Amino acid sequence: MDVSRSDFQDLVENAPCGYITLQANGRVDQVNRTFLDWSGRSAEQMIGKRFSDFLTMPGRIYYETHIAPLLRMQGSFQEFAIDMLAADDTPLQMIANANERRDADGKLLLIRLALIKATDRRRYEQELLAARELAKAAEKAIEERLQRENQASELREQFIAVLGHDLRNPLASISAGARILDRTVQSEKERQIIAMMQTTVMRMSALIDDVLDFARGRLGGGISLDRNTSEPLERTLAQVVDELRLATPGRVIEAEFEIDRPVNCDRTRIGQLLSNLVGNALTHGSSNKPVVVYAETTATTFELWVSNAGDVIPPEAMDKLFEPFFRGKARASRQGLGLGLYIASQIAEAHKGKLTVTSTSEETRFTFSMPLQSV
Amino acid sequence: MAGVIERNNVHLRGEGNRAMIFAHGFGCDQNMWRFVAPAFEKEFTTVLFDHVGAGGSDLSAYERSKYSSLAGYADDVVEIGRELDLKDAVFVGHSVSSMIGVLAEQKSQGMFGKLVLIGPSARYIDDDGYVGGFSAKQIEELLQFLESNHMGWSTQMAPAIMGNPDRPELGEELTNSFCRTDPEIAKAFARVTFTSDNRKDLPGVGVPTLVLQCSEDIIASEQVGDYVNRNIPKSRMIVLQATGHCPNLSAPDEVVEAMRTFV
Repeated sequence: MDVSRSDFQDLVENAPCGYITLQANGRVDQVNRTFLDWSGRSAEQMIGKRFSDFLTMPGRIYYETHIAPLLRMQGSFQEFAIDMLAADDTPLQMIANANERRDADGKLLLIRLALIKATDRRRYEQELLAARELAKAAEKAIEERLQRENQASELREQFIAVLGHDLRNPLASISAGARILDRTVQSEKERQIIAMMQTTVMRMSALIDDVLDFARGRLGGGISLDRNTSEPLERTLAQVVDELRLATPGRVIEAEFEIDRPVNCDRTRIGQLLSNLVGNALTHGSSNKPVVVYAETTATTFELWVSNAGDVIPPEAMDKLFEPFFRGKARASRQGLGLGLYIASQIAEAHKGKLTVTSTSEETRFTFSMPLQSV
Repeated sequence: MAGVIERNNVHLRGEGNRAMIFAHGFGCDQNMWRFVAPAFEKEFTTVLFDHVGAGGSDLSAYERSKYSSLAGYADDVVEIGRELDLKDAVFVGHSVSSMIGVLAEQKSQGMFGKLVLIGPSARYIDDDGYVGGFSAKQIEELLQFLESNHMGWSTQMAPAIMGNPDRPELGEELTNSFCRTDPEIAKAFARVTFTSDNRKDLPGVGVPTLVLQCSEDIIASEQVGDYVNRNIPKSRMIVLQATGHCPNLSAPDEVVEAMRTFV
């Protein structure tokens, strides 16, 4: 007996891959032991049957529409995923190579198939596929979000522009009208009415400023600063206090400033911060007790605080004080939009500083502090 | 309409006065016809093309909504026919293109004089009293399989086609196009192919029709082909000895011979 030949036959039968030959009509001609073991079928169960009978239904369609045509076209194929079925209907996921044997006239005699198991590889492919789908979905979500953001930011700009122009212009007309009337009116009563109109215009204008700042701070890129160390800060603060004193006759505002170092800040904004804090103290504090304003510089910080006497701020309200549109229990006529403290805190943040509050039965105190070195 | 020729990768050969236009099915492109079309180049001008999304077509012309029904594909066939001024031409459609031809014939009076339908099915999914060969569940599984296998499509097709020392005559053209489909488009084409129902369109076919039915075709069984044959008024059917779903590749001579008895 020829040993090498029998060894070779052994290889074909027991190769670490399945071998199947098909007749020209697509029926199984021969099948090796390895594949029979994998599939749990006997040779009799396979020989003479259509190869596609041993494929899953989708596998069959794929085979008929893609694999078989390709094999006919080029005489071979390599590395095709083929899903077969074992006798117990469990899937046998395979990778297949094939080639054709034709006679001298080109007539198809036989199709040779080599199959290797590819369960792990297929699982890996599925994972890759899932990852790709996930990445695609994430990309789409990001794109959509970006688009929404862009739209929102466009709206935001429009909104701010509307506030800035369309609301302020009519107010300016009213103000100008009142000024003209003021020059011609005779009676004291008329004069009072016009003064009231002017006060209302100013109040309205301040509200619009607040809303604009809110829109910039909350919706846009934050409050921008125009820092300046050269001008004395004290003058700005004193001016704010004077204005508020004028606007609220009958209330006492005590102020003391000990600013002996240059403060690198936006003067107008810090003035606004102070104005908001004092305004808040006047609104919510006891009307028969003074509001105290104090500012000082230390070696490293600038500190500005405003205190008033009055009711203790309830603990549950403390957290919400600096949120936009938060309003305490003051009389409705004296309330603003609830943006004053929010904007003050935004100004503090823009200066890399912070705004804090303490409230006891003796006093409620808002303290702004910012580092001096900050640029 | 400008660009139709490029869009559908249209190729004309032969010298006949009449035209014979060949439409490939799901899974392949016009190379499907390379063993059949040349046999008719003496008597006919042969027109080969790729459906948009397949082969050498212009993938950028693929519109999801248009190609979500076979009517979109049929419109393309009619546009090609108009561009080439086809009259009384023979339309040869394989597999799903059979129904595309059935629709195109009714959209363009006089453009097509005869239809040859190879392995046609008016509906793949079984219905009340109708055998299509597949349950809705099986088709859904197929679509899922194609979806889960589409990585295989994109990565395995190309290397399998590269370099073919055994049959060099197939050449370059084949290397880059045959069976290579954008996976997303392949999925969409599979869906429209296997979920279409064109039974009501069959009686409207006004021209003589030949149904070529394979033996042992698991995609379009004889019963399915018979249904098409019975419902097209001027139709006759030839059952080929060829097995499988692609006799134009596996038994081109038999296909050519059967077609000659008809055209």
